[in-house]
Amino acid sequence: MSQSHSDTIPLHASSQSDIDEIENLINASVLSGPATVLPARPPSPQRAQIPVSSSSSPFIPSNIPPPPLSYQKPTPVPAGPPLPPASSASPGDRTISASGFGSAPNTLTEPVWDTVKRDLSRIVSNLKLVVFPNPYREDPGKALRDWDLWGPFFFIVFLGLTLSWSASVKKSEVFAVAFAVLAAGAVILTLNVLLLGGKIIFFQSLSLLGYCLFPLDVGALICLLKDNVILKAIVVCVTLAWSSWAAYPFMSSAVNPRRKALALYPVFLMYVSVGFLIIAID
Amino acid sequence: MQILPPNNGGGKGQGYPSLASSSETFEQQPTGNWRGVFSITSYTQYFNIDTDVVLNRLMGSLSPIDGSFFSKIVVNPDIYGPIWISTTLVFMLASLGNWATYLMEKHAGKGSSWTFDVNYVNVAAIAIYGYAIAVPLGFYFLLQYLGSNANLVQFWCMWGYSLFIFILSAFPLLIPVEILRWIIIVAAGAASACFVGSNLRSYVDGADATIVVIAAFFLQMALAVFIKVWFFS
Repeated sequence: MSQSHSDTIPLHASSQSDIDEIENLINASVLSGPATVLPARPPSPQRAQIPVSSSSSPFIPSNIPPPPLSYQKPTPVPAGPPLPPASSASPGDRTISASGFGSAPNTLTEPVWDTVKRDLSRIVSNLKLVVFPNPYREDPGKALRDWDLWGPFFFIVFLGLTLSWSASVKKSEVFAVAFAVLAAGAVILTLNVLLLGGKIIFFQSLSLLGYCLFPLDVGALICLLKDNVILKAIVVCVTLAWSSWAAYPFMSSAVNPRRKALALYPVFLMYVSVGFLIIAID
Repeated sequence: MQILPPNNGGGKGQGYPSLASSSETFEQQPTGNWRGVFSITSYTQYFNIDTDVVLNRLMGSLSPIDGSFFSKIVVNPDIYGPIWISTTLVFMLASLGNWATYLMEKHAGKGSSWTFDVNYVNVAAIAIYGYAIAVPLGFYFLLQYLGSNANLVQFWCMWGYSLFIFILSAFPLLIPVEILRWIIIVAAGAASACFVGSNLRSYVDGADATIVVIAAFFLQMALAVFIKVWFFS
């Protein structure tokens, strides 16, 4: 393909090799497929992509006359990938995506229920990995391979709403404080581990700290329904211990063992403060 | 398409530091490089501390007369201690302050009108964080103006650790007896203020040192009184 370019327009010497390199990368990525790391569960289908007809090359030489000699820039002129012929397009036509890269199912035109169901199943599976005992817990690399942020978002908002319902005065301030503490707390805890020299991935850690709030959500719901102080104290203690147990292996394995307590103490502090909010709001 | 962006550890913010980039954390940041402000690796030097060292410094902050705290931190001042001591103190003041108000009302007999006041969190955060950031900054500029050589990070470190006494004293302050609360807070405030004062004196020896030391002493006492009046009345 590169040989056919030379008889129409002389490209700059280095740009031809760049074009070749980019073409090779495109071909290699089409052949090799998605990431090489095996996830713990089948990966979600690829995101929606702009449909590109696979028969066209992005580097179509144009027919403009050769540029003046002093102007050595190459002529990239891709007129854009040619759009699929209009005659075959109809509303809801699913054939448009069939010519895109790879053979992923089309996530842009699937029913909404499919999308929601896929995200919900991912939330449930991540929850089972993080909060309930399972053989992958000790290995942080496997623990949350397919992390997402929907689950943490739901749990934080649910906790804020539950606390707000339980409060008899200043409901909106209670929600604001709870949401701010939890959201900023997750970010600050992750930054704390990174600053102590630990090795974690930022969003994976945010996701994990959000999932560990699930026991406190359950505790807050129980305290909303039953208003006895002793019962609330017991429930909060149990769920606090559960949350801390869930977060412990991930946080402690991320840092140097001599600094383990320094990384774990802020996690404990955040959960204790949320637990205290749950008990004290009535 | 798997084209990788050039992985310069100095320019990227705190996103996705994967295992492969750990080697980049050891590259030297050129001084005066403004992008270092947004990179985590330029701050890790202030968190280069182990659990036993932190505990040692916490114990050292409890001795008011010693004056040797700066010798402990001069080599490796840390910001971890001040940040988490301040945060713990904010949480303690908000939660125990609410609890103390509840106990006080129950002790006085009319226990039905108490509700959890979430504003305590806001006031505590503004007061403690503001104090811990602004006062060392002010003293740093003051000492620079007076000519002696001051190190801002060490000041933040020392003032941050001086707040540890208030965390410990927050528990006895729950006892709903007014006289006892005043005694406790005055004792804690005096201990903390003496800690700050003696360390400042050992740091700056000069003719103007006395005024600086006395000013620091009174600021710390003022913080103690504010804590008592606002949270534990």
